Amino acid sequence: MLQVRGISHAFGEREVLDGVSFDVPAGVLTGLLGPNGAGKTTLMRIMFGVLDPQAGETRWQGQPVTSAALRRWGYMPQERGLYPAMPAGDQLVYLARLHGVDKDAATRSARDLMEELGLADRWSERPDKLSGGMAQRLQLAAALVHGPEVIVLDEPFAGLDPVAVDELSSTLADRVRSGMTVLFSSHQLDLVQDLCESIVMLNDGRTVLEGRVADLRASSGRRQLRLTLTGSGRGWLTAFPSVTIVEDRVDDLRLDIPPGTDPLAVLDAARTAGHVSDFGLDQPTLSQLFMSAVGDLAVVS
Amino acid sequence: MSTSSWWEGTRLVAARSLSDGARSRTMRITTLILLLIGMAVVFLPRVLGGDQPTYTLATVGPVSPAVQTQLDAAGQAAGFGVEYLGAADTQAVEFAVREGDATVGLADTIMYVRSDAPGAFPVMVAQAVVAQESAGLMLEAGLTAEQIGRLASIPPPDQVEVGPVEDEGRAAVGFVVGIILYMGIMFSGQMIAMNVGMEKSTRIAEVLLAVLRPSQILVGNVIGIGIQTLVQLLVLAVPIVVALTVADGGLDLPSVAAGDIGLGVAWFMIGYVVYAFLFASTAALVDKITEVGSAIMPVTIVLVLTYVGAVVLVPMDPNSPLSITMSMFPLTAPMAMPIRWAAGVVPVWQLLLSMGLAIATAALLARFGSRVYQRALVVTGRRLKLREVLPERT
Repeated sequence: MLQVRGISHAFGEREVLDGVSFDVPAGVLTGLLGPNGAGKTTLMRIMFGVLDPQAGETRWQGQPVTSAALRRWGYMPQERGLYPAMPAGDQLVYLARLHGVDKDAATRSARDLMEELGLADRWSERPDKLSGGMAQRLQLAAALVHGPEVIVLDEPFAGLDPVAVDELSSTLADRVRSGMTVLFSSHQLDLVQDLCESIVMLNDGRTVLEGRVADLRASSGRRQLRLTLTGSGRGWLTAFPSVTIVEDRVDDLRLDIPPGTDPLAVLDAARTAGHVSDFGLDQPTLSQLFMSAVGDLAVVS
Repeated sequence: MSTSSWWEGTRLVAARSLSDGARSRTMRITTLILLLIGMAVVFLPRVLGGDQPTYTLATVGPVSPAVQTQLDAAGQAAGFGVEYLGAADTQAVEFAVREGDATVGLADTIMYVRSDAPGAFPVMVAQAVVAQESAGLMLEAGLTAEQIGRLASIPPPDQVEVGPVEDEGRAAVGFVVGIILYMGIMFSGQMIAMNVGMEKSTRIAEVLLAVLRPSQILVGNVIGIGIQTLVQLLVLAVPIVVALTVADGGLDLPSVAAGDIGLGVAWFMIGYVVYAFLFASTAALVDKITEVGSAIMPVTIVLVLTYVGAVVLVPMDPNSPLSITMSMFPLTAPMAMPIRWAAGVVPVWQLLLSMGLAIATAALLARFGSRVYQRALVVTGRRLKLREVLPERT
């Protein structure tokens, strides 16, 4: 279990983190979410001892994190994080050895990982000559090559095409299943809501939501009613003052149904007013949960 | 962290930056060019006939065989050539000397010497003439040719030069050592700066900082690039040193030069370390690698001014208060001291003190640089000012 306890940090007058606490259990793919500037990268740097927090600490297996423990962690910073001109394989061996792996074991591990990630024939290639997707996989390999117990990834999905997102998330899911503790950050809340099991959501340096994604979405009590409706205006909605329109495009209508209002009553009213050719009931998305958690002031990208 | 694991991580960083250099094409080309320069210094003078001087003796009619034999033998021993010019009469001899066609002219009992003639040659001509005259007198006095020959072969005492140490040859060595030091420190300093800028802008620095201390990354890079530059300096120096040690190397360097060159290498290492940490910590302020040049500008300017000061001001008066200050102050000492030392006026205690001060400064700069480096590396997205990351006073 990885535990973050009461971490606060300020750059001069600007407070970036304010008493952030959460747990990352082993075997649960956990996302650290929040808009740009929420303090995610700073928090990760503090977890790795790159920055010293002004208060709080990170604990691993119940103990404060030591530099010896950090050697068994892997970190993948946002973008790049590789020597542009150093051959891919040598680079992995070098990083593994910095984490205390001996040369032979490092070479074996680098070969296995490159094989697994489809980079087997790229050992001598320079990273700056690799395609975006391959560079991303090499970077992941760099974080995994020393066989870490904990891996922390900063915005691993940013800028990836859907196929690459899929590949990366299934690689991470494999590691989680094998018992690794995995934490990754993202500002694309809706992209990752189906990828991670558990989330911690930060805004302005504070934790605003924490828990299993399924629980959070179900427990909010809010529902969204999706309707494809012809032959009616929107006048029938006045009967439900608490229901708000999320989206309204020609025939497609998406409504936010707050707790205490029966979505089926709304559906019935719609069917009376016009012809409903399709409908569905959805749980709120992570960005909607985020919005309702922080109020309308926050801007979610 | 134990010392051994500190060294282990530092060694890995150094080895990586060394192999990075070995892979770089720029690096290989510069090394090849340096090797060619080193070899050119040794071989060009021979190819171009070296700087073996040739003197000309003008005489009325052909030169006497006895004088010629003696002068040729002297030339062979002292490393100069002699040419002979037969002129029609006394006036023609005088004319040839005045016009520069001859170094020395002989007519009857008069020896014409150009006012700028090298001191040794006229003396040798005079000796040859005197020897010829005395041989004639001795023959008349009844000595046999064999006895005269024995008299002529009495060797003169061995000559040892004991003039003041401040000689021009050594000063020239100091000048050359100065240029090489300057170029070596500038070149390697920029390489360190590029390395630090690259590690920061690619965010590798964060991965490294998660497992290494800033001092390990910094010192590792400084050692790796230092070795690389030292190897290049050796590539430049080896042909010259070999030529100096092999007999008849054809290089006319003063005998003290080998020591001066050795001291130059020591000063390179000290100066390199002092400046390397300055280059590294200022380069850590950049956001993009293209900003490295302007970020290290203050250090570059100090280095250029130091060099210019050292080669212009110090040789003018190596013992002036300014020269002494420059050779003691840790930032200027690495270039000012070798030049002052080569001029031969520095007491050993000054040399040692100056080295000690520079080494102590390098150690302080390593600590200071590590702090700046750690703070600057984690602020990305904009270029930093030095005072934003200066360690606070505690």
